Amino acid sequence: MADIELLIPAPGFVPVEDLLKSLKETGGPAFSDDMVNFCANLSRLIFRDREASRFPELTALAFWMRKAEILRMREEFVKLERPDTLLVPRGLVLHFPPGNVDTIFIYSWLMAALTGNRNLIRLSSRSTPQSEILVRLLREALDKASGAVRNSTAIVTYGHDVELSAALSAACDVRVIWGGDETVSSIRKIPIAPHARELTFPDRSSLSIIHTASYLDLDEAARDQLADQFFNDAYWFDQMACSSPRLVVWCGLAEQATRASNLFWPALAQSALRRQYQAAPAVHMKKLLFACHAILTTPISAYHRYGDVTALDLGALEAYSQEHCGGGLFISASIEHLADLRRVVKRKDQTMTHFGFSADELRHLAVILSGRGIDRMVPIGQALLFNRFWDGHDLLREFCRLVYIGMPTNTTAL
Amino acid sequence: MTFDQLAQATQYSLPQHEKDLVLLERLAELTEHHRRHCPEYDRLLSILYPQFERPSSLEDIPYLPVGLFKSHMLRSVPEADIFKVLQSSGTTGQSPSLIALDRETAQRQTFALSRIMTHVLGPRRLPMILVESPALIQDRRRFNARVAGLLGMMNFGRNHFYALDENLEIDLEGLKSFLQRFGREPFLIFGFTFVVWQYFLQRLAGESIDLSNGILIHSGGWKKLQDIAVSPAELRRRFLQETGLLRIYNFYGMVEQVGSVFLEGEDGYFYAPNFADVIVRDPVSFRVLPPGESGILQVLSILPVSYPGHSLLTEDLGVVHSIDRSTCGRLGKAFSVSGRLPRAEMRGCSDVIAASR
Repeated sequence: MADIELLIPAPGFVPVEDLLKSLKETGGPAFSDDMVNFCANLSRLIFRDREASRFPELTALAFWMRKAEILRMREEFVKLERPDTLLVPRGLVLHFPPGNVDTIFIYSWLMAALTGNRNLIRLSSRSTPQSEILVRLLREALDKASGAVRNSTAIVTYGHDVELSAALSAACDVRVIWGGDETVSSIRKIPIAPHARELTFPDRSSLSIIHTASYLDLDEAARDQLADQFFNDAYWFDQMACSSPRLVVWCGLAEQATRASNLFWPALAQSALRRQYQAAPAVHMKKLLFACHAILTTPISAYHRYGDVTALDLGALEAYSQEHCGGGLFISASIEHLADLRRVVKRKDQTMTHFGFSADELRHLAVILSGRGIDRMVPIGQALLFNRFWDGHDLLREFCRLVYIGMPTNTTAL
Repeated sequence: MTFDQLAQATQYSLPQHEKDLVLLERLAELTEHHRRHCPEYDRLLSILYPQFERPSSLEDIPYLPVGLFKSHMLRSVPEADIFKVLQSSGTTGQSPSLIALDRETAQRQTFALSRIMTHVLGPRRLPMILVESPALIQDRRRFNARVAGLLGMMNFGRNHFYALDENLEIDLEGLKSFLQRFGREPFLIFGFTFVVWQYFLQRLAGESIDLSNGILIHSGGWKKLQDIAVSPAELRRRFLQETGLLRIYNFYGMVEQVGSVFLEGEDGYFYAPNFADVIVRDPVSFRVLPPGESGILQVLSILPVSYPGHSLLTEDLGVVHSIDRSTCGRLGKAFSVSGRLPRAEMRGCSDVIAASR
């Protein structure tokens, strides 16, 4: 078998067996002080890095892993334990992050590392500026970290190589696959050990729901603020992130929906202008092409174009096809009652960003939708904010094994 | 003026303001025609141009993105009247465009092309060198836009000589005997730009071949030339230097508007024939740009009757340099094409579903 290219700890080529051996005996207790300090340090490095500051998603990552946040997570983690069950790391976690959402590998790795696992991350051979920055900063932070932290993480890179993937997969206790459906399916064909488990994060689709009357009650400044938040959700990854909204549903009277969306889309386009977002010309062409395709294949009733925003009104929500082109094209539809979402939500739907609804209304909706879809309901502006609850999993739990400890009870004791 | 009158008239003879009016009338009619006979076109217009009534200038004529023909075959005549479906050669991994032709449209295309070509070739058929291998047209499985273009151009020549074999090796002996027989009178050379450069001109270097009576018409494949950084000026310079060939005409055209090609003038700019035109639009806002500014090209043609392709927004970048002011006697817009919109690299975690499927 060919040697494997290592990016972290030290760049170079190593035999796969040596790499796996080096990851055997390390790792540490969950949320060790060393690990918490390491996170805090990495967060600081990202915040201070001039190159990293050009990418808002890196700033968001740094914010998410700052010390206070990690400590809060430690408290949550402690609450997961009961007197008779102990949470221990599963062992070696192998991560296949997506080729093009550059920050995901850090989130994925961090959840597993915080819970005390050893980690092996495979980055695809096409790198982006963001992932290069992260690898550079991660290396810097690891150099200063304690031995247990430093020796429990390796990042490798290779192109399509089934043999390497098979060797790594056979050695892991958890395999994590992010990516398109095709990636997930092709990696899934490679066996893992009988005891090992797998977490997959395949293609998902996301939507936004807005309470029409509440939106119309907003003054202009509040509408602009909401547009800014929606902009973050949709445009940070050119609307190609799984949790970025593609469908916007207006809940309320149909005629009010028209009024509301006539305010909303121009406000969003203004927000894009304020952020100096400008999609490449080819993206505009792609959106026009997609719009034509959608008009010919679904009951689109109107086409709106404001700068970087293209919105297509869909006459019947049931006809929503989930086909998409990204780059700031939205399907807009209206329903009378929240429960009408039943007609369109599918298993593939992941995040529903919301505005103007109470927690009870959302809970009720979740019950109605159970068995169908939607794993996250978060306010508009938080679609991309990663946390331990993702795609229907609690990652803190998924990366842990439960050890049950039974003791003789008093009644049977002699 | 009708199509026949426009085609019969001397090409490039209409001043732009006159051409605008004539084309506006014809293109407005075609827009109505396609609305009535192509339900998909009517549906697209009703959504994309809800306010559209009668256009008052060429810029008002609705346009469709040219890529739409890759995912949808649109036609404005009954299926029974379709006698040929043109297919673009298509880049790897992309579906080809499918263009439905009836007899009328096909005849218009043939007639239009002959009016454009005879403008520089003269009325008589010329002895012709094809910078291709005969294998290309013998292999019927590969009948595509490239073969169709070749067959179309062969009509303007006689005593056809294929300068390449199936391995794209030049037949120097054959070429020499062709020139011995025909080289003292005007003759026609046709080929695809990249092939002409790579497999013809490069092999002629140092061979003292005299092509000074030739007229070279070439097209397509400029992307490959750009990859090896050969400019149109360089192509001209090398031909003159190596072979004495001076009369070189590139043309810009596409399978979605066959027959309606934009042939270079002697000044090296493209010109629209009487029955076609170009408009440059901003690649982001799609607003019309004035001469001198680079944008995406919209191509207009009154040829397409059987499919709604009379006004198309291309993915090609170009610029109009002057109007009615050429130094080669042609009226209308003088423009150049600088390349294709760079592909969009988008990020994200999901598989992209291309609109063109």
